[in-house]
Amino acid sequence: MATLAERRSLEPWQDPKAVPYLRIDRVTKKFGDVYAVDDVSLEIFQGEFFSLLGSSGCGKSTLLRMLAGLEYPSAGRIYIDGVDVTDVPAYSRPVNMMFQSYALFPHMSVEQNVEFGLKQDRMPRRERGERVGEMLDLLKITELRKRRPDQLSGGQRQRVALARSLAKHPKLLLLDEPLGALDKRLRENTQFELVNLQERLGITFVTVTHDQEEAMTMSTRIAVMDAGQIMQVDTPTAIYEFPTCRLVAEFIGSINLFEGKVVATEGNQVLVETRVGRPMRMRAFHPMVLGTPVTVAVRPEKMRLCADFRDDGVNQLKGRVEDIAYLGDVSIYRIRVGDGALVEMTLTNVQPRTEQALTWEQEVAIEWSPTSGVVLTE
Amino acid sequence: MPAPLPSASVRHRRMSRLVNIGIPYLWLGLFFLLPFAIVLQISLAEPALAQPPYTALWQWVDEGLLRIEINLRNFMMVAQDDLYLSALLNSLQVAVICTLLCLLLGYPMAYAIATAPERWRITLLMLIVLPFWTSFLIRVYAWIGILKPNGLLNDALIWLGLIDTPLAILHTQTAVYIGVVYSYLPFMILPLYANLTRLDPSLLEAAADLGCRPMRAFLRVTLPLSMAGIVAGSMLVFIPVVGEFVIPDLLGGPESLMVGKLLWSEFFSNKDWPLASALAILLLALLVVPFVMMQRLQQRMEGSRP
Repeated sequence: MATLAERRSLEPWQDPKAVPYLRIDRVTKKFGDVYAVDDVSLEIFQGEFFSLLGSSGCGKSTLLRMLAGLEYPSAGRIYIDGVDVTDVPAYSRPVNMMFQSYALFPHMSVEQNVEFGLKQDRMPRRERGERVGEMLDLLKITELRKRRPDQLSGGQRQRVALARSLAKHPKLLLLDEPLGALDKRLRENTQFELVNLQERLGITFVTVTHDQEEAMTMSTRIAVMDAGQIMQVDTPTAIYEFPTCRLVAEFIGSINLFEGKVVATEGNQVLVETRVGRPMRMRAFHPMVLGTPVTVAVRPEKMRLCADFRDDGVNQLKGRVEDIAYLGDVSIYRIRVGDGALVEMTLTNVQPRTEQALTWEQEVAIEWSPTSGVVLTE
Repeated sequence: MPAPLPSASVRHRRMSRLVNIGIPYLWLGLFFLLPFAIVLQISLAEPALAQPPYTALWQWVDEGLLRIEINLRNFMMVAQDDLYLSALLNSLQVAVICTLLCLLLGYPMAYAIATAPERWRITLLMLIVLPFWTSFLIRVYAWIGILKPNGLLNDALIWLGLIDTPLAILHTQTAVYIGVVYSYLPFMILPLYANLTRLDPSLLEAAADLGCRPMRAFLRVTLPLSMAGIVAGSMLVFIPVVGEFVIPDLLGGPESLMVGKLLWSEFFSNKDWPLASALAILLLALLVVPFVMMQRLQQRMEGSRP
């Protein structure tokens, strides 16, 4: 077990005395009548790898652009390292951004692209050369230094863009869909590299992504956004295991949702009556009033085959296998239960697929434990 | 083993390729090379009181005896007489200055249109192209009405109290500059606009993000990336202005002798076709130089990024 002090240095957001490096205070951005970002407040700490996650049009990019100074908020303030930068233009802000399109200058070589920001700071020539060399080295693109952007592959461009945005040694780096333009294989490798780089340099990263897997792998914390608002801010584990609303639960991974209402409370557990069958007994994190409409949310991999199906058992369902998706390591089973709802269950393929008993049209009983899911009120 | 005969489809493809390449060459040959050869031939002849008013380049004198006479005196005349040289230099001067003026005026206009809200752009472009609805000649005549001593401009300036006596603008070099810049400005704006709309706005954002102020970002990013548009626009203005005839004829004065006007008077007033042809050949040669230079430049720019 980590001590409290260790935990606090790893998870500064748990420490009430920690001072955030970046503070977004009730920021709103309107385009005409549309609220792109609607009253968002966030605190991001030094050394974090923070992800803004959401589907396109949720306002995550607009929020990032406001941090860079490329858009100005309609209301609210932004503080970086305690300084109010809300009205500071992009060219005077101590942040750098890696653009989704990379935005490399097509008329300049790799070297000149990386050097561009340093020139604006009037850094002496020798120092500039050293810094450029250091950056090219860091991203392993030294042999590309004389090439122009249109002579580079997608992955190489991504590295150049990253080198350029890191060249000024910013304390805060903004990344707009940093891996969006890469193919899947390259993306997975680059994810780890990006995290290593971030840890090595100790820079605070704020990234925007629509890819939940990407956000889960890389981030210290994730803010899930929808319609300009933040739905939940938490660690990847908490976001996945303990979503606080249906929207977050459904956005990350797949999940089974059972609507119902609270019929009894027993200690920290509640009994929920749903339309699919007998009551479900689930752990609740806060007290709930009887009769509250709730949704029981259980992830497919938390479901298991039930050996002793009892007519009075809780958290048990009976159904018929309708679809099987074989993914190699796991298989996804879609099971039609009581009232016609489809329940998804993931099982690890411990045995080769051909040896498994579970097949189409088979009657199965499934179950889960009270701590395997959450009860959502919104 | 005998080589297989080309199949019908291969032959068909060869035919269509021949036609594809052939048509432009045929066009060039018919409407550029042939007229050029005729003009070149006339430039090497002697003027004569005949129909056509020049001697033949070759004639059969006797059975089996062909006499070819090549007369280089026209070119010598053009090279030796200051009149032609000064007309040529004057034309170049007018073209250079007008190209620069068009660039200075046209760049901000093209930039403004390219960065204007989408719904305005078509309207603004229409306003640039609108003058073409009226005949070029009529628009140049209209400038006479504006620039003459008791014309619109002078009346307005006197009414405003800025001047007491009318300015003599009409029939001066200044009038030529005004007329040329007015007439050729759209040819500068349109290619520049086409170039600037293609500029990725995120490049300027990246420049700002890296600490570059707007003016510097313009000089370091926008300007170098719009070079192709600047070159295209400048060529479209420079080349026709060197040979411009109507504007200096209607708006210019005696001191603004341009080569186009000289050509016209040699051809129609003096009926000296050979001399006029020699002048035309020299003018063409003079214009080919910057064109080839530009192409070299473009090739080098493309060569650096294959």
